Amino acid sequence: MRQEDKKGALITEISDDQTIPKLFLEKAGVYGDRVSMREKEFGVWRPITWQKYLENVKYISLGLISLGLKPGDKVSMIGDNRPEGLWAEMAALCAGGVGVWLFQDCLIEEVKYILDHSDTKFLFGEGQEEVDKALSIIDECPKLEKIIWDDPKGMRNYHQDCLISLKKVQQLGRELEKNNPGLFEENIVAAKGSDVALLFYTSGTTSLPKGALLSHNNMLTMGQHLMTVDPCKETDDYVSYLPFAWIGEQMMSISCGLQIGYTLNFPESPETAKENIREIGPHVMFAPPRMYEEMTRSVQVKYLDATWIKRKFYELATKIGYHVANLKFDKKPVPFYWNFLEWLALITVQKKLKDHLGLSRVRNAYTGGAAMGPDHFRFFHALGVNLKQIYGQTEVAGISVVHRSGDIKFDTVGHPIPGTEIKITEDGEIITRSSSVFLGYYKNPEATAEALQDGWLYSDDKGFIDDDGHLVVFDRTKDVFTLRDGRPFSPQYLETRLKFSPYVKDAWVVGDNLDYVTAILCIDYSVVGKWADENKLNYTSYTELSQKPEVYDLVGKQIQTANQDLPDTAQVAKFVNLYKEFDADDDELTRTRKLRRAFVEKRYKEILDALYSDVDSVHIDTTIKYEDGREAHIKTDLHIQKVKS
Amino acid sequence: MSTTFLPCGDYHQGYAEDHAWFQTKFIKGKMIALFLVLFVFIPISYWGSIFQSAFNIDNYWFSLIIRYISVFGADEYWISVFNMVGYTILGALGVQLLIGYCGQLTLGHGAFIAVGAYTSTLLILEFPWPEFMITLGLAYPVSIFIAGIMAGLFSVLFGLPSARVKGFYLILTTMAAQFILVDFVITQYVSQIGGRGQAFSLPPGTIKIGPWLIDNNYKVYFFMLILVILSCIIISNLVRTRVGRAWVAIRDNDISAEVMGINVIKYKLLAFFVAGFIGGITGSFWISNLAAISPEHFPWFLSLWLVGVILIGGVGSIHGAIFGSLFMVVIMELLQLAVIPLADTYPKLLMDFLFIKEATFGLAICGFLIFEPNGMAYRWWQIKNYFNLWPFSY
Repeated sequence: MRQEDKKGALITEISDDQTIPKLFLEKAGVYGDRVSMREKEFGVWRPITWQKYLENVKYISLGLISLGLKPGDKVSMIGDNRPEGLWAEMAALCAGGVGVWLFQDCLIEEVKYILDHSDTKFLFGEGQEEVDKALSIIDECPKLEKIIWDDPKGMRNYHQDCLISLKKVQQLGRELEKNNPGLFEENIVAAKGSDVALLFYTSGTTSLPKGALLSHNNMLTMGQHLMTVDPCKETDDYVSYLPFAWIGEQMMSISCGLQIGYTLNFPESPETAKENIREIGPHVMFAPPRMYEEMTRSVQVKYLDATWIKRKFYELATKIGYHVANLKFDKKPVPFYWNFLEWLALITVQKKLKDHLGLSRVRNAYTGGAAMGPDHFRFFHALGVNLKQIYGQTEVAGISVVHRSGDIKFDTVGHPIPGTEIKITEDGEIITRSSSVFLGYYKNPEATAEALQDGWLYSDDKGFIDDDGHLVVFDRTKDVFTLRDGRPFSPQYLETRLKFSPYVKDAWVVGDNLDYVTAILCIDYSVVGKWADENKLNYTSYTELSQKPEVYDLVGKQIQTANQDLPDTAQVAKFVNLYKEFDADDDELTRTRKLRRAFVEKRYKEILDALYSDVDSVHIDTTIKYEDGREAHIKTDLHIQKVKS
Repeated sequence: MSTTFLPCGDYHQGYAEDHAWFQTKFIKGKMIALFLVLFVFIPISYWGSIFQSAFNIDNYWFSLIIRYISVFGADEYWISVFNMVGYTILGALGVQLLIGYCGQLTLGHGAFIAVGAYTSTLLILEFPWPEFMITLGLAYPVSIFIAGIMAGLFSVLFGLPSARVKGFYLILTTMAAQFILVDFVITQYVSQIGGRGQAFSLPPGTIKIGPWLIDNNYKVYFFMLILVILSCIIISNLVRTRVGRAWVAIRDNDISAEVMGINVIKYKLLAFFVAGFIGGITGSFWISNLAAISPEHFPWFLSLWLVGVILIGGVGSIHGAIFGSLFMVVIMELLQLAVIPLADTYPKLLMDFLFIKEATFGLAICGFLIFEPNGMAYRWWQIKNYFNLWPFSY
């Protein structure tokens, strides 16, 4: 069945029979010699055609079968974003397996938990680092049979029986193909749309990760619905650099990428991702707010270091940009002279600025996964970037609500996408119903029963629908504050405001049912460090720098600005600079960099107590763990400062 | 890695693209503009007269229009100034290659230009060319090539000491080339060939490339443009190949270059040969602009001048050779123009102009060493960066 959307583009209704591999096979046949993906290697963007993509997937898939993969078996992938990772995932799906992605920087316990919980049979690791990780836990994961690696660097002296190279797997696949031609296609045809395609472990701000089961149909309808809102073209470029273990990346690379057929670009290494994005200049972007926050911060810092003329140009262009953006936010007509000024600002400053950020070709930029501050939002719209808020979760295979072009309000997340219903329960909880809602949690019926009720997905997020029909997501239900005057308040909102300052990297706001609101801040080491250098402040470490009275004054000023348009009761009264940055390895953040409030509250109890008593410093005596397992003993006094009003 | 500043969304899928000449639309546009300026707008009065005679138009108004258009282009005088610029660029490219890329200090490049000029002249005037070659106009083109080879070989000969000595000592041996070749061999012996005495005169009609007779400044100008473009292409391609990288390695540190497996002597002599070859071509190009050549055209000051040009333009950059030549020649001409009106009041200025010229040359070098030690090419790079990084500084 075909139907036409408003813009006249044909949309194919996704039948129950359609699966990701079927679509993949079809697209590879249609596109053939077109570039499906590029990987930056040795300085150039090495293209890989659809034909090559298909061949690689085919032989890996057959190789897995000859290693003993049965339909429904789990195949895990870990490593940086690279073509081989996607091939492995697609190969597993083609053979009827279920893909499980792990975050590249997962600690060993997390890897073990997920591998064990998901009953993983095969693990694709990138190189020596992943192989080492897997070898150290293979005895504790009895179901794990083979570890497959593709980067030969450092692998010469590994001869364990459980190891096999990707090349070898493909070799096995070729042999199987000779004895059994057509097996690959048969497997693909045999699959159904309702089969489980991916097992996604949610980051879980509270407890152990839960595995969400997503079917082929979930993924495909998700992608299709998003693409009806903001159609992409097959000539578009997309940069895949965020972890595949994040649903947003899966949505863009698989759900949307496969349906549209745009080119995926893989950066040279995670360190060069920012530069590589600038080179490619993607047409569509989906990133968590921290990416955009980083961009804003880098612009703010560079602005401070620019020469006088350049600064003036920037200031003027920004003023014009903000004015025009505000008019558009208010849905007021833009007078022709403002349009002219906007055009001037565009050709003198904004065009070049967008070029530096890699945003000059971007048609739609999405942010999701966490709340984004209104200041950041305005910043990008003032630049002329069509940044949109997205709301979604792993359990709906990606997103359910998005802004429409020209109808953007920075405190909302927009309207539900086609085929999705959103309702607010009596308690203010957001519930969703659509064809993309997941099948359930793996081996966790209680959690499934809690989340899925009569086909509605209970999100555990508080929100409401405003007068224009936009969904407003307030915060996680359990995070919402009650201020001293009894009003509810979202700490996330205040935190994102604080993070608009280039000097503040992370913020944690407390004050639920307490007399006043306080903040625990992590300064941005490089920006504040540079500021300290310019102001002739000596420091040797993050800890020392964060405790400088001058730095306190600097941060205090930033808080005052953020306080300005807040009601008295919500204003930050006291703050403290933390002696370290929040880190996912310390379990303070989730892998997608969301603050795990319950955990940090327990961990920094002394600081909280001090903030709410009448002292002006708190003594810290603790050990911190580095990523490589080293431990450091920290003994310091944290100063507590009152914010001047 | 491509060294060009690429705008966002402009990326390379292969090394051929990565090393292409003109990588972005903006650069292509700039290059087309430059081509139009050089080939069309500067010699516009030449094109006007060609147009007029080709269509046999004898109309008062048409001539008037042509005359008014020609005002925007360069007149005969400025064309000759540009020819001088081109000559200096060609000469400076050879010096740039030796000093800027291979680190071999030379103060005798004028000698190799002289060798080229004399080889070419002698071949044209004295060599018994077969009749058909004369009629086909091949004598001059062939002589250019042979002049290049000759000058290259002489350059290698005087570059041989570079196998043993460096720096000051090498400057002295290259200076020896100047005195031995120009002041001794050419003045005392070569000039005597044919019993003409001091100067060889080049009869009109001898400088011919195929059917193209080079007989006025505009034609020299076009010939110069073609040679400069070709040399720039050859050198910039050469310096990014294995040979050029070896030269740069020798320049930066000859001992570590040798440790890396570069045959230092071979590459040094190769640099001398290529520099000499370009010098030879420069010389044989220059005779197309002269009615007669004599050893006075190639004084030691020419060698010094060329080194000054690359110091001002920027050592180790092809842009540098071009900017330096433009700056030095045009500044000197402007100086001359400035001096002429003053000559009524201070007649001495005109009489001693040569000294003013040399003093300015010295002053310019001093000024650049103090205020812009990396030369004009560096400043050019900075200006480009200023706008590439707009609206920030990094």
